[in-house]
Amino acid sequence: MEPLKTQIVVLGAGPGGYAAAFYAADKGKKVVLVEQHRRLGGVCLNSGCIPSKALLHSIQLIREAKSSTLRGISFDEPRIDLARMRAWKESILDKLGQGIAGLAQRRNVEVLHGRGHFEDSRTLRVETAEGQKFINYETGIIAVGSKPAMPSAFDLGNKRVMTSTEALELEEIPNGLLVVGGGYIGMELGTVYATLGSKVTVVELLDSILLGADPDLVRPVMRYAQEAFKEVRLKTKVLKMATSGRQIKVTMESEKQRTEELYDRVLVCVGRVSNCADLGLENTKVERDDKGFVKVDAQKRTADPAIFAIGDVAGGALLAHKAAREARIAVDAITGEASSADAFVIPAVIFTDPEVAWCGLTESEAKEKGMQVQVAKFPWSASGRALTLDRPDGLTKLIIEPETERILGVGIVGAGAGELISEGVLAVEMGATARDLADCVHPHPTLSETLMECAEVFYGYSTHTFARKRTGTLLKEAAR
Amino acid sequence: MDVKLPRLGEGADSGIVVNILVSEGDRIQKDQTILELENEKAVAPIPSPVSGTIQKIHVKEGDEITVGQVLISLVEEEAAPQVSATGKPETTFESSKGLPRPAAEAKEEAVLAKEYRYEAKSGVPPPASPSIRKLARDLGIDLTRVQGSEPGGRITLKDVRDYIQRLQQMAFEKRPVSREAFLRPPESIDFSKWGSVTKKRMSPLRRTVAARTQEAWSTVPHVFQFDEADISALLEMRKKYAPLYEKKGARLTLTALALKAAVVPLKKHPIFNASLDESTQEIVYKEYYHIGVAVDTESGLIVPVIKDVDRKSLFDLSRELGEVAERTRRREVSLGELQGGTLTISNLGGIGGAHFTPIVYKPQSAVIGLGQGTLKPVVRNNQVEIRTMLPMTLSYDHRLIDGADGARFIRDFVEALQNFNEENFKLEGK
Repeated sequence: MEPLKTQIVVLGAGPGGYAAAFYAADKGKKVVLVEQHRRLGGVCLNSGCIPSKALLHSIQLIREAKSSTLRGISFDEPRIDLARMRAWKESILDKLGQGIAGLAQRRNVEVLHGRGHFEDSRTLRVETAEGQKFINYETGIIAVGSKPAMPSAFDLGNKRVMTSTEALELEEIPNGLLVVGGGYIGMELGTVYATLGSKVTVVELLDSILLGADPDLVRPVMRYAQEAFKEVRLKTKVLKMATSGRQIKVTMESEKQRTEELYDRVLVCVGRVSNCADLGLENTKVERDDKGFVKVDAQKRTADPAIFAIGDVAGGALLAHKAAREARIAVDAITGEASSADAFVIPAVIFTDPEVAWCGLTESEAKEKGMQVQVAKFPWSASGRALTLDRPDGLTKLIIEPETERILGVGIVGAGAGELISEGVLAVEMGATARDLADCVHPHPTLSETLMECAEVFYGYSTHTFARKRTGTLLKEAAR
Repeated sequence: MDVKLPRLGEGADSGIVVNILVSEGDRIQKDQTILELENEKAVAPIPSPVSGTIQKIHVKEGDEITVGQVLISLVEEEAAPQVSATGKPETTFESSKGLPRPAAEAKEEAVLAKEYRYEAKSGVPPPASPSIRKLARDLGIDLTRVQGSEPGGRITLKDVRDYIQRLQQMAFEKRPVSREAFLRPPESIDFSKWGSVTKKRMSPLRRTVAARTQEAWSTVPHVFQFDEADISALLEMRKKYAPLYEKKGARLTLTALALKAAVVPLKKHPIFNASLDESTQEIVYKEYYHIGVAVDTESGLIVPVIKDVDRKSLFDLSRELGEVAERTRRREVSLGELQGGTLTISNLGGIGGAHFTPIVYKPQSAVIGLGQGTLKPVVRNNQVEIRTMLPMTLSYDHRLIDGADGARFIRDFVEALQNFNEENFKLEGK
């Protein structure tokens, strides 16, 4: 059969892959997009960001209803219909998946469903339902993403030991659920199951949950977890799991203390691994690092000059918006534009309760690198809007370069932090100073005011807090 | 509107069109290169100050054009946001008159711009919006070199544009041929391989001397003319008047006498008192006679200038020379006293040695090197006599001066020393 000829082939239709395919098509390239799953959208849409946020939104009402009693409105116990919840969630995924397929069609991006396998640096073989197809391309973009890691010690072949993918299917609400790993996936899904009624135990190897976030941003989440979960066990290692009837027997070690416990289900969230296996990369010049991620340069070019790699498979932060940005970088490079080699700000959002979000430099990172920064904080207990929402458990902080007053990083914990962080991204990317942020009028009463007031804290004149110590240049200015 | 050749920098008033990169009827963007202009220094792109459609091109390749000449006529475009093929609005650049500013205005900044380097204690890159960073990437501009004008040092489009204009200007500026570059061999030699060594940094003065002599040596085609002057009579007179001068606080040195004598051939051969202006290809004749005197100091050679030698008496010259030389040895002369020389005299006679070949002190056109006067048997009036002969060398710039003139000048200088008028020694009313 005559091989299909194209300028660009994109392997994997997740947020990196379809963004790359569409952008390349928008720039006038002939593009083939290869995806092994029926529904486009990758992990993000099918078993990641979107379904988890749909579930988190659904269960939010349960928590709201509970706390509502104090505000004078009470509800009966909620009745949970898992089938409807699943169906609603699925309907979102279908809508979005079809949306992507429609957008591909309108751009004349040819979508091939099937597993891709590199025959050589310029040929991809695709196992479609109609048999093998070969694609000759000028440039290939690998965007096959990652999948949850499942250490062999936990892999019992028992459906009661789940990864995030299975947990999102919401087959049942187990009575006792063990979440292995206190990262953002474990904490988000733990929140879903705990609110639906599971007794959730989270086990974390390190001495804190939510690795990467500043400790003061983690604290409110930890407080919530301690109340909503059965237990959060830090510095604890899961050694072994075994099937025990309809339960899982888990052996853990905490400060030399070994315990054995029974759980109805176990959710393993101990990281993610790249989907590089069986891609035929050995037939190309593509190289991988010791963790299995594809090695790329600043323009996302692999060791094979004809092949780029973007998103999770290229390592770094495993985030959809990072993948989408890398899609632009790679396609710009392919079309001969000077593409972004410089660092851009990748915001991070954890959809726990409350949400945690940050962008740019974190306080911990500054400390680690020995950077001289000043940190301004505004507690939400001083925000009128936070109180009307009955959510004073938040904090907004700015990481500031003292000499220039430039905002290097923003961190927020609190209800809706994920929506608020974008202003921080804009500030950091635009090289804004704390003065810029303080001088922008923010509408009252909103949570966004906390960003402005936080900048005012830096100068020592935030209306709704009192700062003993002035860090900014207000005094100097007054003296002039 | 008509787009004219902007003034691009000193000594870049004209050039030859080497490449026209647009055609009539073309739609061009603001800052798009219209043509490339070559002058003695470089080839430079000439950007369009506005966006528009070209109606007529007024120059052709090979034309020599000057500042203000009309290059193209174009119909300007409304400054509406451009919509690109991808359907996204492109960045619209804020309007500006576009043409680079006059050289004089930006010159001082240009010097600063060379030095500027953004450094944050936190080690983060300079603040600039993503669109500016993208622009810098496209143009290959290192933003750490661009001085931001906004709070926190934020870089705006205008800052980048100013920076580029300064770069362009610098590209056209007279370059005193990278001084350091000459001095640096490609790689360091490890002399300690062959025995023990001591290393010492070159002093700034040493580096200046090295750079200036290196530059003169590599740009000035030198001719060396040797001669000897019979200074027996001159020395007799000096012997006679020296005590008198001494009493009045002046040392009557051979250098002072040479200064006085040098004015004679300088006046007769004005080309030796002239300079070549390399950037304008003009010979500049000076109507003043300021003579530099090489002074050996502890840290190296310094050449202070004695002004208006022709208008000063031998006594005044002697006294000034002694005083200036002393201050020079103490490194107390001002920069002004080192500038403006029209000829230099280097007298090594006090130390010894005969002829040597001094290097012309650019932009002067000649230098006289004096050795040690020694007693020699010479034939005079068919008799062998013992006379004090002063060996001397005249080094001069062959770009300005030919061999015959060199010979004439040195003969006239020898004559001036040999027939030195005793009147010069007399102290009028002092």
